[in-house]
Amino acid sequence: MSGAAVEITGLCKSFGPLEVLKGIDLTVLPGEVVCIIGPSGSGKSTMLRCVNILEEPTAGKVVVNGTELTDPDVDIDSARTKIGMVFQSFNLFSHLSVINNLTVAQRKVLKRGEKEAQEKALHNLERVGLSDKVNAMPAQLSGGQQQRVAIARALSMDPEVMLFDEPTSALDPELVGDVLGVMRQLADEGMTMLIVTHEMQFAREVADKVIFMDGGYVVEEGPAADVIGNPQEDRTKSFLARVLDPIHHGPSDPE
Amino acid sequence: MAMSKRKRAQYIRYGQYGLLVVVAGLVAVLADWGQIRRAFFNTDIAASMFPNIITVALKNTILYTALGFGFGLALGLVLALMKLSTVAPYRWIATVYIEFFRGVPALLVFIGIYYGVPIAFQVQFPALTTVMLALGSVGAAYMAETIRAGIQAVPKGQVEAARSLGMSASRATITIVIPQAFRIILPPLTNELILLTKDSSLIYILGLFREQYELTKFGRETLSRSPSLTPILIAGLCYLIITLPLGYLSRYLERRTGGKKVSVL
Ligand SMILES: Nc1ncnc2c1ncn2[C@@H]1O[C@H](COP(=O)(O)OP(=O)(O)OP(=O)(O)O)[C@@H](O)[C@H]1O
Ligand SMILES: [Mg+2]
Repeated sequence: MSGAAVEITGLCKSFGPLEVLKGIDLTVLPGEVVCIIGPSGSGKSTMLRCVNILEEPTAGKVVVNGTELTDPDVDIDSARTKIGMVFQSFNLFSHLSVINNLTVAQRKVLKRGEKEAQEKALHNLERVGLSDKVNAMPAQLSGGQQQRVAIARALSMDPEVMLFDEPTSALDPELVGDVLGVMRQLADEGMTMLIVTHEMQFAREVADKVIFMDGGYVVEEGPAADVIGNPQEDRTKSFLARVLDPIHHGPSDPE
Repeated sequence: MAMSKRKRAQYIRYGQYGLLVVVAGLVAVLADWGQIRRAFFNTDIAASMFPNIITVALKNTILYTALGFGFGLALGLVLALMKLSTVAPYRWIATVYIEFFRGVPALLVFIGIYYGVPIAFQVQFPALTTVMLALGSVGAAYMAETIRAGIQAVPKGQVEAARSLGMSASRATITIVIPQAFRIILPPLTNELILLTKDSSLIYILGLFREQYELTKFGRETLSRSPSLTPILIAGLCYLIITLPLGYLSRYLERRTGGKKVSVL
């Protein structure tokens, strides 16, 4: 076996009769940043959620840092502590203050002491530039701040891989930059990241690899400059044309 | 010549006030105020009820209600979790329980636990236990449905976030879902507490020592010595001391969480 951080082979996922993923293969090396792009409904979220088994794959294998998560005997809870996940809708625990959002899983799952958990939390709040929001409640924060707290919460578990599912899609445009800035900094620090995103500029600048998904398959993959800058497949081309220049393209591509 | 609509509405309103004044005047003139005062508010009888109505009766009403509410809340939570269980028989058991205890009179449950159980099982619960079990088992049936609705109202993303941080399903339920569910259902739970406060009067049917009397029994007992509505009126006012603030609290919480519900994803 290689030293891949994430190794997905033959991944299939159906919801009842609906086949969403039809055989995905993907390898992410340690420290690599992989951006996943594709039209709505192509299965990007489903694929990402299969990496930490929030969705149970129908077939195929998911291996993260040498642990096969699709093995029925695996301790999935302990495996998930090493995989951070950031959601489109932030999902901060609404009844807990910022600091408790960051410490609750450290204490209850990793069994860290109060002091250690607090220090870890404060350190990560500083990383996302929100040291002044320690005692705020989630409802008091802007979307951009909530999402950065969510990133800090995931980081507080010391994950080896971070998953992002459209982390900026629910944000007002002027707040997107703050979150992308934090993600870029994480990438620079060498974090292994899988990012579902529609931010093509970000993907171009930060991703080591871009995956274009459509209809439950990986249609095209390669360096960002190739997939976004010089796509080979027609489906990639028409998708990018619509995303990069939405005004001059119809709602859907004929073909 | 036709009156404007607004003008007419104004005259009708004057008419209503006029009628009220006339009726009030007649009542004031014709009524026997001395008799009414003696019937509803006899100061001697009222004075004789203090301080026991507070130190014994009101205290016991609160105590019984609290015991029943505590037991009912715990049992209701268990029933709610059973109703949401993936194991079908748990759901059936919870459903049968809830439908039964919501469908029968609370009085019947009191009689069953106080008179029925001792005959059937040769155990006699102390009065306190009887109230706790009877009020609790009825309250639990209502609270279970409320708690279940609260749990289901917690956004799915909360559980997903908890699971993605490595929490087990039960850990996520205890640490994340239940605390949020209770925030959501605080107003209906407060209403449930009001209902239980009033239902605690059903202990009236049990044989009790004087120091175990709650407000209704205390009022009834005073009445039998003093032929006046005063004891009942005073007992009623004591209930209002509990239920009115709870009612305002419930409405306040409802407004607060009602405003907040929108901001919950
Ligand atoms: N829990 C579910 N049950 C049934 N169908 C689902 C479920 N989750 C996703 N799907 C379906 O699977 C398909 C792929 O969904 P998915 O969310 O993975 O797409 P996506 O690429 O992330 O799209 P978007 O860009 O809109 O987020 C969609 O048709 C969706 O309706
Ligand atoms: Mg999606």
